[in-house]
Amino acid sequence: MTLDSAPVARRRLQWLAWLRPALHPVAAILIATIVGGLLVLALRENPFEVYWFLISGSLVGLPNWLVTLQMMTPLIFTGLAVSISFRAGLWNIGAEGQMLVGALAAGIVGFALPMPGYLHLPAAVLAAFLGGAAWAAIPAVLRVYLNVNELVVCLMMNPIALLLTGFFATHVLKAPGPTNKLPDILPTAALPTFSLYSQVNAGLILALACCALFAVVNARTIRGFEWKIMGLSPRFAYYGGINVPRRAIWVMMLSGAVAGLAGAEQVLGVYGAFYDNFSPGYGFDGIAVAMLANFNPIGVILAAFLFGALNAGSAVLQMMTGLSKYLVQVLQFIMVLVLAAQFSWEWLSKRRPQTMPKYPEQSPAPGEAGEIEEA
Amino acid sequence: MTDAPPVVALRNIVKSFGAFIAVRDASIDIRRGEIHALVGENGAGKSTLMNILYGLIARDSGQIEIGGKSVSFSNPRQAIAAGIGMVHQHFKLAPSFTVAENIILGAEPLKSFGQIDRHRAERDTGELSVRFGLNLDPRAIVGSLAVGLRQRVEILKALYRDAQILILDEPTAVLTPQETRELFATMRSLADNGHSILFITHKLREVLAASDRISAMRHGRIVATIDNSDVTAQDIAGLMVGRSVLLRVAKGEARPTTETLLNVSGLTARGERGETAVDDLSLSVRAGEIVGLAGVQGNGQDELVECIAGLRRPVSGAVEICSAALGATPRDNREAGLAYIPADRAGLGLSPESGIWENMTIGHLDEFRSGLFLDIGKARRRSADLIGKFDVRGAEPDKPARSLSGGNQQKVQIARELSREARLVIAEQPSQGVDIGAIEAIHRRLVEMRDAGRAVFVISADLDEILSISDRILVIYRGQIVANLQAAATNADEVGRYMGGFGAAHLQQSPAHDP
Amino acid sequence: MDWEILNSAIRISTPLVAAAMGGLLTYQAGMLNIALDGFMIVAAFAAIATAYFTGSLVLALVGAIGASMLLAALMALFNIRLRANIFIAGIAVTFLAYGLTALLLKGLLGQDGVFTSDRIPTFPILRIPVVDPMPLFGAILSGHTLLVYVIYGFVPVVAWGLYKTQWGLRLRVVGEAAEAAEAAGVNVDRVKFQAMLMSGFFCGLAGAYLSLAYVSLFANKMTNERGLIALAAIFFARGNPYWTALVAMLFGTATALSVRMSQMTGLAPQLLLLIPYVVTVLALIIVGWRVTKARNRHGAWRFDLS
Repeated sequence: MTLDSAPVARRRLQWLAWLRPALHPVAAILIATIVGGLLVLALRENPFEVYWFLISGSLVGLPNWLVTLQMMTPLIFTGLAVSISFRAGLWNIGAEGQMLVGALAAGIVGFALPMPGYLHLPAAVLAAFLGGAAWAAIPAVLRVYLNVNELVVCLMMNPIALLLTGFFATHVLKAPGPTNKLPDILPTAALPTFSLYSQVNAGLILALACCALFAVVNARTIRGFEWKIMGLSPRFAYYGGINVPRRAIWVMMLSGAVAGLAGAEQVLGVYGAFYDNFSPGYGFDGIAVAMLANFNPIGVILAAFLFGALNAGSAVLQMMTGLSKYLVQVLQFIMVLVLAAQFSWEWLSKRRPQTMPKYPEQSPAPGEAGEIEEA
Repeated sequence: MTDAPPVVALRNIVKSFGAFIAVRDASIDIRRGEIHALVGENGAGKSTLMNILYGLIARDSGQIEIGGKSVSFSNPRQAIAAGIGMVHQHFKLAPSFTVAENIILGAEPLKSFGQIDRHRAERDTGELSVRFGLNLDPRAIVGSLAVGLRQRVEILKALYRDAQILILDEPTAVLTPQETRELFATMRSLADNGHSILFITHKLREVLAASDRISAMRHGRIVATIDNSDVTAQDIAGLMVGRSVLLRVAKGEARPTTETLLNVSGLTARGERGETAVDDLSLSVRAGEIVGLAGVQGNGQDELVECIAGLRRPVSGAVEICSAALGATPRDNREAGLAYIPADRAGLGLSPESGIWENMTIGHLDEFRSGLFLDIGKARRRSADLIGKFDVRGAEPDKPARSLSGGNQQKVQIARELSREARLVIAEQPSQGVDIGAIEAIHRRLVEMRDAGRAVFVISADLDEILSISDRILVIYRGQIVANLQAAATNADEVGRYMGGFGAAHLQQSPAHDP
Repeated sequence: MDWEILNSAIRISTPLVAAAMGGLLTYQAGMLNIALDGFMIVAAFAAIATAYFTGSLVLALVGAIGASMLLAALMALFNIRLRANIFIAGIAVTFLAYGLTALLLKGLLGQDGVFTSDRIPTFPILRIPVVDPMPLFGAILSGHTLLVYVIYGFVPVVAWGLYKTQWGLRLRVVGEAAEAAEAAGVNVDRVKFQAMLMSGFFCGLAGAYLSLAYVSLFANKMTNERGLIALAAIFFARGNPYWTALVAMLFGTATALSVRMSQMTGLAPQLLLLIPYVVTVLALIIVGWRVTKARNRHGAWRFDLS
């Protein structure tokens, strides 16, 4: 529980309290913009020009919009995946690996299991869903039953996924010829695209639908409520009757499943086949998206849109200036860093938080004895 | 004792945490070569005061004088430099390092290039331990030592830094009687050597046995400092409690039925450090009675309740709730009819960051279930209802639980647990951190439960509360039930003695367990 | 027997060993530093850029270490002072570093993706006179560039520092029981800060080696997850400097020779590259198993989502 040592300071800062949820993301964006601007200056470019290119390259003109939408789609999935798990108290940083496994599954079903059209696409998507879930099950089970820190496991599972799926793409199920991919998926498994200008496809609809679904789940369902409480206070949740271990496993798997859907979208919609090492880091970008969105599904759409736009604009930026498109990545992760910091009011008032007994009304010493009633 | 100037003087110390005043105008003198006991109940401010002296917490106002000179510490390093050493209740040791390494940490003897002079460290710490009669092998790994020996390491840490003033916070909380005796001998020899010892305790027996002078602390003030001569436990307890009006809940006769709703048989459980916390313990609570479990904190109550609540797995023994075997999870026990109000409000009983309606809805989710959905409106209305019914002050359904005072948080817990058809109610430290007015309401509620035919089991370190509310009183000591008394037939004196381990007649322990 | 393999193995593992030394110090202080790759990449870039512009290897080394330690200071600021979760901060710093170096690669050196130049000085190969002709020892000890000797030379220094000095004792206690250190008057935050800076130092060496000695170029993300592999080595060796160096060498050799070894063993290179990660997960499982069994003996409920 937070208690200030200075009642006056607390009153003064109280009016900020209702602003607080929005404060952090806004501060993050602001700081990133400023630092990015300084960086651009140092590279002898004009920051305003640069930011204009980023904006216009993503939002001015239909073709740019379509590219933005394409860039944003996988981020919605991975951002949502990370949000689901973080909100429930589980740090799933393995979305990258889960996406890859999901992508491979979709890629395999896509080319190897011919089916009538109305079955094939759903089957491939389902395969991705299950693949991502299965990959996330490993850190989940290790966490719940063996108390292994899921962060480290997820971290290791990412390169393992990359290597294993790469192994499939370059050896086991390699397409003929000098390639590093699986055979192309059959047309019946493809996600229809909308226009020639970009590869934005029906996966976007699925992504938005998922966000809407989870927005409802989080806000209105029993499960969503349980997840929220688990994330805030797991012991309390367990005591209150929520089967925390079981929920934890299912949430991780669900998170992985959604990340797997990102893979499905990429394979079935954008590339038309599973390529080795196709991801420029969507799983990690998902962490950035989730944090900016404060783990809220609708916020994910907005944050994914922001990053998608930045990514789309970065291509234009690269063409029009001497700057690399990686500027966007720099901005993104400055934001993550700022969001990860926990600015407490004590820090702002330059005082070290005091060590305090657990309950303010109780000293750490145990109870009394030998109390004798005064006659 | 002589009239030598005090080696430590705390004058008019004040410390608040937010709105809560932990220490108000506390003044205490410690003389050279004396053993000074600081007694007081839970929340009196003893540990806070000592942490201020040791530089862990900054005081709001007041003076600290060491040897007559005014000082101000902003961290333990400065206190250590001034000759103050503190042995905390929860040892601050690094288990996989040796005794010598733990002792020298922070004041290491060095060779060239910043290397630790291991040889000198082991030799010096070895000599030190022998000199003070605290024999220890400097090369032993701390993690492998028994608790009593580990405490010696803690004491040696202070002595190694030439501490002239030693603060011991509840030193005997985890010691066996034998170890306690050895500790007291050590303390006496240190005092004879010119050291000053200040020890915090609530065990009156120890206060009488070991101290030269006694200071009693109540509600943040030192209310008295007396010599330990011709003093009885009653006198000390009186100082600790003061002339406060004893709470007596108006209640009629208990009419317990023969139906046993809680049956614990032969329960054995281990605590966090692997020690035996609950030792072949059996008890039962019937419908229509209030059973109070009295005991000093740290005698196994926490582990006992955790086992019953389904939060800890016992090593052996059986627990039955409403004639059904103990469930595997808290949820199962709830469904069997258990309502458990935990003492740990911040971590277990409430979610501080969540809204009050959320805190009240947990555990009752089925009531508000509508298919897959949670009927939030209904849940919030219900919580507003409960807030009114249980008189939770300053609460609105959406405010976070941490914004409430301790007493009102307790009410939220109670509202949640008692608003269902539970047959067995277990209340842990119900009045801890709760103001007088609220305590009354809470106790009345518990009596209502009893009269409605439920079984009520109250665990409290507050003897007042136990005496006031129980029909039957059990006393737990070192993991066993040492007394089973009818409340009407006993008094605080007798219960207190059992709590302090005095009730020899009922104990099947070795004669080492002397009064 | 082709002793050259040993020579290669040592050369190849050098950056891994250096990074592992850095990561080891933070590990001993209780921090899991997953930003090692980030530190290394900025070091590699700084080394190449400085070498290109000044033509001096010494300055390049200084630049590399400086850049890496700066990034480490950033990491320390966010993790230690601002209490950011070390994993999130580590990921952020790493990707920040990837992006920044790519950006500067284009911005400062005008290239996209890879940069190399004839103007970049190279490290001369040193041959130790007496040892060189000897078959086994000659291959191991002689014929390396300067940084190899420096980095491997640091291994006993790290071991000495960790187990023999005051700083090392305090570091290890902070990692095991920060409360105990605090109560003994040790400034825990300062110790952790220093450990993080030291890991920056070692990653600086590793990065400089990568871009100037191992090869003579800079490429985006050229660290190739070495930081993660170094972490795996540290885990497996439980933070002991000598064992960590040994495991790092094994991992490094297996990783770098994956192509050749795959030809020998018939296994795909990816499967060999998997080894460090799979081994780490297995090690974690074993440790977790032991911890859980011990807890179950207490009979305490133990599921903490933290």
